[in-house]
Amino acid sequence: MSDSFTISIDGRPVAVQPGESVLTAARKLAIDIPTLCFLEKCGPLNTCQVCLVKLNGKLVPSCGTKVTPGMVIESETEEVHEARRTALELLFSDHVGDCLSPCHRLCPLMLNIPLMLRHLEAERWDEAIATVRQALPLAGVLGRLCHHPCEQGCRRGNWDDPAAIRDMEKFVTDQDFQKPETHLIPRKPATGKRVVIIGAGPTGLAAAYYLAREGHSVTVADRQAQAGGSLRAVGENQLPVAVLDREVALLARLGIDFKFGVELGQHVTSEGLARGFEAVLITVGELAPAEGAKLGLALAGNSIKADPNTCQTPLEKVFAAGSAVRPQKQLVKAMAEGRAAAECVHRFLGGQPARRPEKPFSSLMGRIDPGELKAFIRSTHSGGSVAPCDRCAGHTRPEAAVESSRCLHCDCRSSGNCVLQHYAQTYGANASRFRAERRPFEQQLQPGGIIFEPGKCILCGICVKLTEMAAEPLGLAFIGRGFDLKISAPFGLEVEAGLERVAAECVQHCPTGALVFAEKKLAAANGRGATSVDGNSAESGQTA
Amino acid sequence: MPIDLTIADAAVARAGRKPEALIPILQILQERYGYLPEEALRRVCLTTDITPAAVAGVASFYDMFRMQPTGKHVVRVCRGTACHVAGAERVEDSLRRHLQIPNGADTDRAGQYTIEPVACLGTCTLAPVVRIGESTLGYTTAEKVPELMRDFLANLATATAVKSTEDQGEHRPGVRAEIHVGLGSCCMAKGSDRLFHALRESAEAGGVNVAVKRVGCVGMCHRTPMIEITTAAGKGEFYAGLSPEHAAALVQRHFQPRGLVQQARRVWTRVLDSLLLDAPTEQRSVQHFSMSKRDPAVRAFLDKQVHIATEHFGKLDPLDLDEYLAHDGFAALARCLGTELLARPHPGPLPQERENPSSVFEQSSVGDSSCDSRTSQSRRKLSPLPGGEGQGEGEATHTSKITQSLLTSAATREAIISTIEKSGLRGRGGAGFPSGQKWRVVAQQTNDTKYVICNGDEGDPGAFMDRMILESFPFRVIEGLAIAAVAVGAREGIFYIRHEYPLAVKRVRAAIAQLEQRGWLGESLLGVGAPLAPTQGERVAKPDGGQPQSYPLKLSVFEGAGAFVCGEETALIASIEGERGMPKLRPPFPAQAGLWEQPTLINNVETLALVPWILRNGAEKFAAIGTAKSKGTKVFALAGKIRRGGLIEVPMGTTIREIVEEIGGGAAAGRRFKAVQIGGPSGGCVPARLADTPVDFESLREVGAIMGSGGLVVLDDTSCMVDIARYFLQFTQDQSCGKCTFCRIGTKRMLDILDRLCTGRATRPQLEELERLAVQVGAGSLCGLGKTAPNPVLSTLRYFRDEYEAHLAGRCPARKCTTLIKYTINGDCTGCTLCAQHCPVDAIPTTPYAQHVIDDAKCTRCDTCRLVCPHNAVEMK
Ligand SMILES: Cc1cc2nc3c(=O)[nH]c(=O)nc-3n(C[C@H](O)[C@H](O)[C@H](O)COP(=O)(O)O)c2cc1C
Ligand code: SF4
Ligand code: SF4
Ligand code: SF4
Ligand code: SF4
Ligand code: SF4
Ligand code: FES
Ligand code: FES
Ligand code: FES
Repeated sequence: MSDSFTISIDGRPVAVQPGESVLTAARKLAIDIPTLCFLEKCGPLNTCQVCLVKLNGKLVPSCGTKVTPGMVIESETEEVHEARRTALELLFSDHVGDCLSPCHRLCPLMLNIPLMLRHLEAERWDEAIATVRQALPLAGVLGRLCHHPCEQGCRRGNWDDPAAIRDMEKFVTDQDFQKPETHLIPRKPATGKRVVIIGAGPTGLAAAYYLAREGHSVTVADRQAQAGGSLRAVGENQLPVAVLDREVALLARLGIDFKFGVELGQHVTSEGLARGFEAVLITVGELAPAEGAKLGLALAGNSIKADPNTCQTPLEKVFAAGSAVRPQKQLVKAMAEGRAAAECVHRFLGGQPARRPEKPFSSLMGRIDPGELKAFIRSTHSGGSVAPCDRCAGHTRPEAAVESSRCLHCDCRSSGNCVLQHYAQTYGANASRFRAERRPFEQQLQPGGIIFEPGKCILCGICVKLTEMAAEPLGLAFIGRGFDLKISAPFGLEVEAGLERVAAECVQHCPTGALVFAEKKLAAANGRGATSVDGNSAESGQTA
Repeated sequence: MPIDLTIADAAVARAGRKPEALIPILQILQERYGYLPEEALRRVCLTTDITPAAVAGVASFYDMFRMQPTGKHVVRVCRGTACHVAGAERVEDSLRRHLQIPNGADTDRAGQYTIEPVACLGTCTLAPVVRIGESTLGYTTAEKVPELMRDFLANLATATAVKSTEDQGEHRPGVRAEIHVGLGSCCMAKGSDRLFHALRESAEAGGVNVAVKRVGCVGMCHRTPMIEITTAAGKGEFYAGLSPEHAAALVQRHFQPRGLVQQARRVWTRVLDSLLLDAPTEQRSVQHFSMSKRDPAVRAFLDKQVHIATEHFGKLDPLDLDEYLAHDGFAALARCLGTELLARPHPGPLPQERENPSSVFEQSSVGDSSCDSRTSQSRRKLSPLPGGEGQGEGEATHTSKITQSLLTSAATREAIISTIEKSGLRGRGGAGFPSGQKWRVVAQQTNDTKYVICNGDEGDPGAFMDRMILESFPFRVIEGLAIAAVAVGAREGIFYIRHEYPLAVKRVRAAIAQLEQRGWLGESLLGVGAPLAPTQGERVAKPDGGQPQSYPLKLSVFEGAGAFVCGEETALIASIEGERGMPKLRPPFPAQAGLWEQPTLINNVETLALVPWILRNGAEKFAAIGTAKSKGTKVFALAGKIRRGGLIEVPMGTTIREIVEEIGGGAAAGRRFKAVQIGGPSGGCVPARLADTPVDFESLREVGAIMGSGGLVVLDDTSCMVDIARYFLQFTQDQSCGKCTFCRIGTKRMLDILDRLCTGRATRPQLEELERLAVQVGAGSLCGLGKTAPNPVLSTLRYFRDEYEAHLAGRCPARKCTTLIKYTINGDCTGCTLCAQHCPVDAIPTTPYAQHVIDDAKCTRCDTCRLVCPHNAVEMK
């Protein structure tokens, strides 16, 4: 059009039409300005203030600021980012919810436990094994040997017994191995990059598991004749050899190549390997006294020297992890080290600086009081933990389903599908920057299947506007003022009363987990909804 | 009890069915039911275009609406700045205890009393202020509470309803002597209305021919009730602090009563007077309340002042239109309409008969005081509109020439606007935006419909300038608004006045009604170009050679419903449109798209009150006052820890020191002036060492304060700066509309940290976070409220960091933060048991003749024991 003009964002010119917003202009340049309260059809609501940009030395919300000729905008600068991050952090200081459940956050391998338990409760066995394998290497082994820090933090434990999380992992894998074709986690297309891992103990195997799934071609070498390292020393009653063998076989099915009887410093050298592979990862386990010197690697004491943040040794292309670098006492932690090393190597292979995986962002609700716990317990199985009989090999299916139904689902229904969580993750927001008294947890379970959690409402106003635009008979309104502001239907009625016409639309556009459909309703509603319960993407921090 | 829904129907019938009728409807319901019954609200939704969501949103937004019935009596406690520094919290605590109102509730179980905190009652010089029912009580203290309530109940029982003073605008023809009684809110709070009636009765009874006349605020709110007597001989004298009992003596003292008996009595009072010269206060005769302009205190208070917005203060009956006309009223507007007014003579003491215009109030009025030129049927002299050729006192011929040239409306507008521009007038509502520039933007819009709004929301706690101007000079503000309307081409004007100012609302409404009655509003401004009502004495002169234009203007009053943020212009507009007062992102500015999306000019009360003067006296004359960038005068409400509080109008550029020390007389005896808080919740604290800072927009900004609306609260060494910062944050937090993240949550988080500081629980990292967050809240908030909310914190951090440090270490140097202090009784205690008797929470066991001991766990730090102890044995550490 003739009256179009250009403005500049971060020094880049962009052609715009009069009447357009700065946000729209930025999107043309593929600049991802975060927005929470912006929905095209509602027009700018200007409540969240996370879309700030800098104009003439002042911060202005980009969604509501119209372009003018000659405008100069700053968007991706540290100052602007800090303001956006602060807005997010302020929202979280008044946010009642956990994106990820406490157990999930406590699992060093970040297994989405409540998701696994929901699948089990609903007897979705395939989904259950997929969830477990997604996060855990050697899941059958962990299901027996893990010291289960997750259970220590399980909220159900504040009521009666924690959920039997580790047992459920065992149950899921045992089930799976009874099937003719065991579940195989998908591999990404081959990258053509070759990695060699020296040491087939827990750290090495874990690293191999993640790297292979990324499409790299992985070779694992060990001086022993079998994979497993220290796991081979565990007694049969704790870890039957058959289980370990099955798990290793699964790794082989993933395409991992095993070479046995190969000893570093004797048959191969790091330098030599570095010439033949794109990356070398040393996971040889705890070094015997004086053993280190033979490896031909820089040492720190009797351990291999590696940067804790990148797992890199001073040698180019050579990484090290696990007990060879720092003794690991717990199996799951040793595997988590393998996962971290895999991420470092993976990034390195992709041409990026090596870095451990980011911790997935999670809002934190903190301690909950007995009254609130009751609200959580409401919709779960009321009994204590279900143990399998003494002679039995493990839980039966019905037992597992009951045990799983004891889970309180401490995670957020929207996790993985929540705009707030997404930007908190991207902006590295610190959910507990502002310590403050928390509002009580409140959950309105509406008869029609909507769940409203006022504590997760960021008062963006989208639902209020949508009900107004749809001329809802009752509608929703902002009630009160200032810090006491809230969303409600008029005359003290619960929200569903105000959502006769646009319930689905409001749920869809609510940027957080404040307005969601309960699972059953969700199954009926098509499209987007399903992910909010199955939300795998909550595992966004993983290499997967 | 079933709800009488006919009330709801009547409210709808009165206010209308459109969505914008919502707030007026709710106001009627609130007034009639005492709260908003759900049935009534549902009824309103059924019978109007108003949606349930709108009702729920709006009813819960504004402070004045309640969803629960109140107790039989409503006790309003001021939480404004002046009251806060004067110890309002203790008064509130004491009231709660005395009225047995449980914590967390606002009404006692028996449903007798409801306690309602108010942001500011607008009578700050009397702080701490409490309003019970209709009566306002000043200088309250915690220990006086039981007495206050006793008096209140006693008054109720005897049913001595206070007579209204609102219909007292008549004149008594032929009367030469007058008694002027200041009847502003402050004055009335101190009983000037009762004094007014007592004086009338005394005059009547004594058969004295004197007019007892209501006038507006006299400025010296700290000495109210205030009266001025002008005798036929033109002698002016005035009295401060009189009570109704003095009325008879006063009348006798000044006026010749008829009859011998009275004569004799008069002699007798004289004798008494001389005898009582040194008697204690209660027995003092009226003479002791007399002040004269030679009184150094009065001189100091008045000398530095220049009265423009408050021109003729203490002189004019607020609602006497003829008197306003006789004092140049509406001359400026008439000229803008290309005409002149012929005023009818003002009855009352004629100035030329006076020996000298001796009223102290007149001392420093600038400009061509009409009093000198006032003659019977005098044709008003008009100076040419600057921007035309030449200035100064214009000749009549010259005037008509100019007038003629103004007849095309574009030229008229241009002349008005360029005068305002040249005068350098900047908005008095806070930001100091150049008014001429704003007017021009509105004038340039091509829309048919435009609006002008007078912003009288004045929610800044500790400020009451706009209240006083509206109460005292309603016609002047109307004139200013009308001129603005003509200049920008608006046909509709709205006064937005907060409902906490009932007297201001009443007077502006009455003034508008008078003008409408005269045919001066509505169809045709000042009746120009329209047929005149024949009964009225004045007529509009048509200057030779031109037909005056008729300009239609409709004025109305919109009462705010209690929300500080509605002073922000976009929130104000939302509120007039019947919505929650939530600000919107600007641009678009109201000047482009405001009320109903039409161009809207919003100006502050004081800004508009200055306009007529500027047009009458010329831009240059206004620009000659003040500093390079801040022209003219500024009205301040001077309150807090100061000897002489009140309303003052000083030239821009007057220093803080001049205001505090000369005009205000400095801090109280034995106290040290520490800082002034300027600009209220958006402003900052300027320390005493920067007292030579001139008050103008730029200088104040430089030192971290802002002009704001003009609240000026003086703080002394008993004021804790951390507590002040916390106080303001509490206020903004409470008043935040809640729309945007930074303000809704950010101010709360800042307040959390300040709370920790004031209770000795804060850590250094938290103090650092406070500072960081303050900057971010200021940068990231959507509207002015949030953007300026951190100012009180930032400015106290800048100048009083040592006090923050002390609080980190668990000390409050000013001994204000109650958790950081402790009450003990020392060895001087004689065991008189007084403290034990007075302690409201029984924290002191009665141990006659033995040293008393305070149970610290029970002690609420109410300070009563310290105040009652005759031996100064109670210590505060
Ligand atoms: C939170 C807030 C409160 C305000 N309160 C008032 C007020 O009470 N009175 C007023 O005149 N202006 C107030 N203002 C300023 C107005 O928004 C507006 O700038 C002013 O009325 C314009 O008039 P002026 O140009 O004559 O100053 C307030 C602004 C904000 C942000
Ligand atoms: S609403 Fe979003 S941010 Fe909040 S807990 Fe749920 S997923 Fe996390
Ligand atoms: S109750 Fe469920 S989600 Fe919550 S901590 Fe325990 S296992 Fe995890
Ligand atoms: S419920 Fe969701 S859509 Fe509605 S205001 Fe809250 S966050 Fe926004
Ligand atoms: S800054 Fe405060 S008052 Fe202004 S819009 Fe935001 S929340 Fe509302
Ligand atoms: S001991 Fe003194 S200060 Fe404490 S509560 Fe009693 S009277 Fe008040
Ligand atoms: S303010 Fe722009 S997206 Fe919320
Ligand atoms: S009346 Fe209390 S501060 Fe204004
Ligand atoms: S003197 Fe009474 S209001 Fe000012």
